[in-house]
Amino acid sequence: MIQRSWKIGGLALLGYVLCMIFLVPLGPGLLELTDTKTADLVVGVEHQVPVYALTGFGTHWSETPENLTVVLRHGNQLAALPLIEVIDATHALVGMDLPYTVPSKSWDVLVTHPIDGTLLLENGLFLSDRFINEQAAWDNPEISEFLAELPFHFPYQPRIVETIRNLMLHVPMWFTMFLLMGIGFVASIRQLSSANDLNFDAKAEASVQIGLLFGTLGLITGSLWARYTWGAWWVDDPQLNGALVTVLVYAGYLILRATIQDVRLRARLSSVYNLFAFVILIILLMVLPRFSESLHPGKGGNPGFNSYDLDSSLRAVFYPAVLGWMMLGTWMYQIRLKESIVERKLRQLR
Amino acid sequence: MSHMFLQINPLEGFFFGSGKAMVVAGVALIILAGLGYWLVRMETRLQRMNDSLDEKLNDSQNQSS
Amino acid sequence: MSRVADIRFLVQHAIRVEMRNKHGIAGLAVFAIAAVYTCYQATGMHAERESWNALAWVVLLFTAFNAVSKPWADDAPEMRSFLLHTVRPQNWLLARIVYYSLMLLALGALIFAAFLLFLGLDPFVGNGIFYFFIGIEATALALASLLAMIQALATRAGGGFSLIAVLGLPLIIPVILVATRYGMDIMKGIAFGDTAHHLLFLATLTGGFTALGYILFPYLWRE
Repeated sequence: MIQRSWKIGGLALLGYVLCMIFLVPLGPGLLELTDTKTADLVVGVEHQVPVYALTGFGTHWSETPENLTVVLRHGNQLAALPLIEVIDATHALVGMDLPYTVPSKSWDVLVTHPIDGTLLLENGLFLSDRFINEQAAWDNPEISEFLAELPFHFPYQPRIVETIRNLMLHVPMWFTMFLLMGIGFVASIRQLSSANDLNFDAKAEASVQIGLLFGTLGLITGSLWARYTWGAWWVDDPQLNGALVTVLVYAGYLILRATIQDVRLRARLSSVYNLFAFVILIILLMVLPRFSESLHPGKGGNPGFNSYDLDSSLRAVFYPAVLGWMMLGTWMYQIRLKESIVERKLRQLR
Repeated sequence: MSHMFLQINPLEGFFFGSGKAMVVAGVALIILAGLGYWLVRMETRLQRMNDSLDEKLNDSQNQSS
Repeated sequence: MSRVADIRFLVQHAIRVEMRNKHGIAGLAVFAIAAVYTCYQATGMHAERESWNALAWVVLLFTAFNAVSKPWADDAPEMRSFLLHTVRPQNWLLARIVYYSLMLLALGALIFAAFLLFLGLDPFVGNGIFYFFIGIEATALALASLLAMIQALATRAGGGFSLIAVLGLPLIIPVILVATRYGMDIMKGIAFGDTAHHLLFLATLTGGFTALGYILFPYLWRE
């Protein structure tokens, strides 16, 4: 029972993680600000004003719509847009009541509401039909930015949106693969230093097989995500290339094993190859991405653990998720190992 | 941006709709399917081992009798 | 015998065996030139710098694989058991790496010359040709250091050429990734100092593969 307790703990962690993944809501955010190509004569203003449509995600604009404020920002220049018509909780029309001469074409959009707090849409507005004069200075209005007190939620991130939940599904696949390949690496070293004991060879084989399963799942889930975030099933990116090549290298390990008939020779040769493979894994997934830029989330040239801009709510689920998946992977590895040992004994029976 | 794809075909819209929540479901399904595949394969292997063990036991009984 | 003398003897012996029967090395040269000529025809005789770069590395890669898949005269069982008792396995590996390095350095130069002849020098700016050549030779060294080990492994496993390809191609991809990026940088006219870290990375890989092989080859070699 005590020996099994960590397995039960792992399952409990995974249960907690799965509940959190699907039950925790996402925080509010801004999707886009688009030109409706219509101009309206708004009451109290004597000229035609272009109307833009503001779309939010998970916002609450229909409650106290009079308290919704929209402000444009460029550097330290600010411009308030007072003409707002709220349609529903996530849609509003904004009158672009600006002078013809503006300091810049591209603007950040800041939307403040008592329930959602201040939301930012970076470079959300591009004014193509205005005259640009960088010296044009405006009298800046006073605005108050604040963060709202929201219940436990995952942060909204542009483009990623709901798929931020994949952090607890896709990313731990790779961590688990690292762990299992590490187990295989150690087993291969010990296999080489003790030539007559084939148990370490069985360990290396089992860990690589389970690690490959996790790596393949990581590839497929990543590919699905990429299709709906980047628009393609596969993109040329150092992180992705590294992942694919690592899986291919370890597939080569299994092919090498299948080619050799003699058990002792197989144990030795595949151990040698496994050491090469692990070094390549380190190079491809830890060293090479540091040399090059990557689109992959959390990878501003630094693939380290802490570079995911994790806030506390993500951490509270991400760390248990990594631990839980690793425990599941280790458990699967042990089952596979026991099975291969029994199989070997069975073959020796006659 | 995401709205543009909604009209392409129903399946694509299914994955893009409401902040792409369905991508998460798809990812979870793929992982479950992978683990399920592993379980099924493991069961088949165990079954095969059990069968061959039975065979060997029968053989040895036949030889002794 | 000292280590250097050992290695020199083994390399000289390998070259002597090679020269006794020249069709092996001649076949490699013909393969390389024919591959370059195919590229010349396939690109419609005026390669953009992207295809020039990609094709150069691909031809180098395939020539290297062809070179190592040639059976090694000393791998015959009787020769192996003789060497097993007379030469330290580490020296034997170093000799193989030196031999393959010499061969791939020569083949790399040949391929580069053929590329310049057929596909022209249009993509290069300034000293680009010189730096690109350095890149080719550095890549040849990295390929030699890894493929010498892979070739020994595949031979011991009895798998032949297909096994060399299956084991070697994925392992070689980091080298090719870095090399193509370096080549593209050179062709874009980026200053050598700003892209030299790629060469440094190639040199590190060469050193790393050699060291790893040095440690692991004895396990591969013994009965």
